[in-house]
Amino acid sequence: MNIFLIMILAIFATTGRVFFLIFLSIITGWFLSYASVKSKLFEEIYIPLTEIFESVPVISFFPIVLMIFVINIGGIMGIELAVDFLVFTAVVWNIWMGEYQAFKTVPNEMVEVSENLNMGILQKLRYVYIPFSIPRVAANLFPSVSDGYFYIAVSEVFTVGTTQYHAFGIGSLLVEFYSKNEMNYVFYALLFQAIIVGTVIILLRKYSKYAVAKYTLDTDAPIIRRGRINVRTTTRIISTIAKNPVSRLAGYYRQRSSYRVKKEEFEKEERRFKIGKYTGYSAGIIILILILYAVVRLIISIKFNTWHELISVTPEILLYMAFDYLRVLIILFFSVIIAIFVGYYIAMHRIAEAIFVPVIQIFSSFPPPLYFPIIFGISYPFVYHYFGELYTDLYVLFLGFISTFYYVFYSYWIGIKALPSEYFDIMKNLNMGLLSKLKNIIIPGTFPYLIAGITSTINSAWGGLMIGEYWPYIVGNKSLEVSNGLMKFIDINTVNGNIAYAAWASLLLAIVVAIYSILFTKKLMDLAKKKYVAEEGIFAT
Amino acid sequence: MSDLLDAGREKHNNSNYILEASGIDFTYSNGYKVFENVNIQLIENTFAAIIGPSGIGKSTLLRILGGFLKPDAGSVYLKGKKIQKPTSDIILIHQSIVTFPWMTAIENVMMPLKVKKVPNEIAEEKAMKYLELVGLQGFENLYPKEMSGGMRQRVAIARALAAEPTVFLMDEPFAHLDELTAEGLRQDIYNILFSPETPLKVVVLVSHNLTEVVELADQIFVLNNIPATVVANVSVTIPRPRNPRTDEFNQMLDNLYIHLTPPRVKTR
Repeated sequence: MNIFLIMILAIFATTGRVFFLIFLSIITGWFLSYASVKSKLFEEIYIPLTEIFESVPVISFFPIVLMIFVINIGGIMGIELAVDFLVFTAVVWNIWMGEYQAFKTVPNEMVEVSENLNMGILQKLRYVYIPFSIPRVAANLFPSVSDGYFYIAVSEVFTVGTTQYHAFGIGSLLVEFYSKNEMNYVFYALLFQAIIVGTVIILLRKYSKYAVAKYTLDTDAPIIRRGRINVRTTTRIISTIAKNPVSRLAGYYRQRSSYRVKKEEFEKEERRFKIGKYTGYSAGIIILILILYAVVRLIISIKFNTWHELISVTPEILLYMAFDYLRVLIILFFSVIIAIFVGYYIAMHRIAEAIFVPVIQIFSSFPPPLYFPIIFGISYPFVYHYFGELYTDLYVLFLGFISTFYYVFYSYWIGIKALPSEYFDIMKNLNMGLLSKLKNIIIPGTFPYLIAGITSTINSAWGGLMIGEYWPYIVGNKSLEVSNGLMKFIDINTVNGNIAYAAWASLLLAIVVAIYSILFTKKLMDLAKKKYVAEEGIFAT
Repeated sequence: MSDLLDAGREKHNNSNYILEASGIDFTYSNGYKVFENVNIQLIENTFAAIIGPSGIGKSTLLRILGGFLKPDAGSVYLKGKKIQKPTSDIILIHQSIVTFPWMTAIENVMMPLKVKKVPNEIAEEKAMKYLELVGLQGFENLYPKEMSGGMRQRVAIARALAAEPTVFLMDEPFAHLDELTAEGLRQDIYNILFSPETPLKVVVLVSHNLTEVVELADQIFVLNNIPATVVANVSVTIPRPRNPRTDEFNQMLDNLYIHLTPPRVKTR
């Protein structure tokens, strides 16, 4: 078959995989979010779990996926499912969280109308909840597409022991071209990929604009952020009901006069509510049982000797983790500094914004593993000449940076765009200097966005480290390999087929990340929600 | 005077006008011409109001007076010096009440002083003075979300006063308050703004509420027609405090209605 045709088919296979999994995430997210808003128990299990999974880098799933899909299922199906699962874990969480937050903040008036009309679950989803969630879904498509493409490139080809597994797609095709040193094909494949990614981004931007124009409520309601209930609307409704004697009387009158007619419907609604409640309880309990079962089964299946080995290697793993956290911190530092100054400049200058935002968007959707070897190949002689053996760390930090800086950049940029225009008037009015603006208004006003962006940047930095810390034969005979790093440890043990070590290191990382998420990210997010919500500074009835 | 005022383009340094808009033309980006030859002159200690039918461009005019929008023709002068861009000598108070939720009341008020690099102790002292002036003593450590709408607007006014401006531009400052709160604040506002404690010389209020305008203003500019121009400049000489139930007050209202009721027509 013609090689160019194969390239195009591979790109479509990869793109199809990303979009199918995003579609799957959206559909499942609608039902899970509905279950969450209807059942407190389900919500209390589903949301913390999703938040933890969202905070845990996708690579944490890698060894587990290899075990379950490749070894247990096997064959083409096993490989395809392994790749799909990895990509699914990259795209799903922010879509699920976005949908949940949208469902959680559907205006009470809308819910009341749907109840008034005796809508069933599917009707409520179709006419109220799903349309209301569309702008959130559209907004989350950008990071999901970026993440999806990013991980496709590393997950379409993976090695366990002496066996290399391939799933058809642009990622595996590029690896093949690199291994045969067919650089002209690499360039063509990258070019086709750039065209497809660029087209996808342009279409997504168009869709996003359409979705916001069509589905965003035309009210003076403030923009509702992650996990924040619409306090003003809620208090307004509550205070109206509680304080307005006319509405109280009206409520009383309505109840009295229509009691007989409505009784049957009320009972029906109550039955429906009970069914929903019990379904939610059951789903929550089933999930808990499944998790407990998996944990117990895993613990029992591991031999005592293996446990002993795993525990003895733990200090080494923790040391490697410390090295990687240092790398993550350096990447984060540069990402945040660049975001704060460049992001502000771009947000304030229309022409710069019109040029750089789409450019960065396309760049961010273009998986670094696909083009990084080219950058490495071109720059290696110079970098090695000036920095000597430090070059490996510099490249790893650079790879981490280009894989992740745009999360905090975009988040901050969107935060600035969402700041009330009155704040900009005040800054102009008081002739504030750049640092004064940033310190007093821009950074506090975008704090929730910054925290969200920083969290995503940290998580994605791990992905960059995973690829960069151990990259054998990146160009010709040259390999990229750091001296110490957790990601290298996981990579090498996965390649050597020592899945227990890799899984243990991933689990320890997941625990540390989860603790960090609960103690640090969540607290900062709570603080941001409590104190730094810019819209709450605008009082308008 | 702020260095933001273009010293090279002084008009008439000996002018009696604190704020002057001369020959203002303005067209929106969609091509709709909003103003043609709008002229406004305000002397010291004037509380002026701008009224007009909905959509006539009252808020736009206020933004032109503040230097937030550049007119296509004509200029705005503060004490004879041309305004090129926003300056802390002319402070805009928004229709939506703007406070910073991450700052307490006193921190909100201290912000303009900190921007001017006033030492912390003096800034705090001054902020307290302005909070007292707007009747918020004892509430200085509350966050805006812990305050009512009326209290938040008082914080916004205190913050604006702390910038120590010459001119206040108020864009429907009572629109988002309930009637009782608005009435209370209206009664206080004149005394607050023209108290000897403040350096204010001129206040320009934009409002839909004619009763409010007659109650507060010394001079009323009525905008009408398309593109809008000043169709009447009415001086209000009713002694203060003004009672809306008096004949004189009602006559003034009727007079204003006469200028507003003819349908808006294109002048050309």
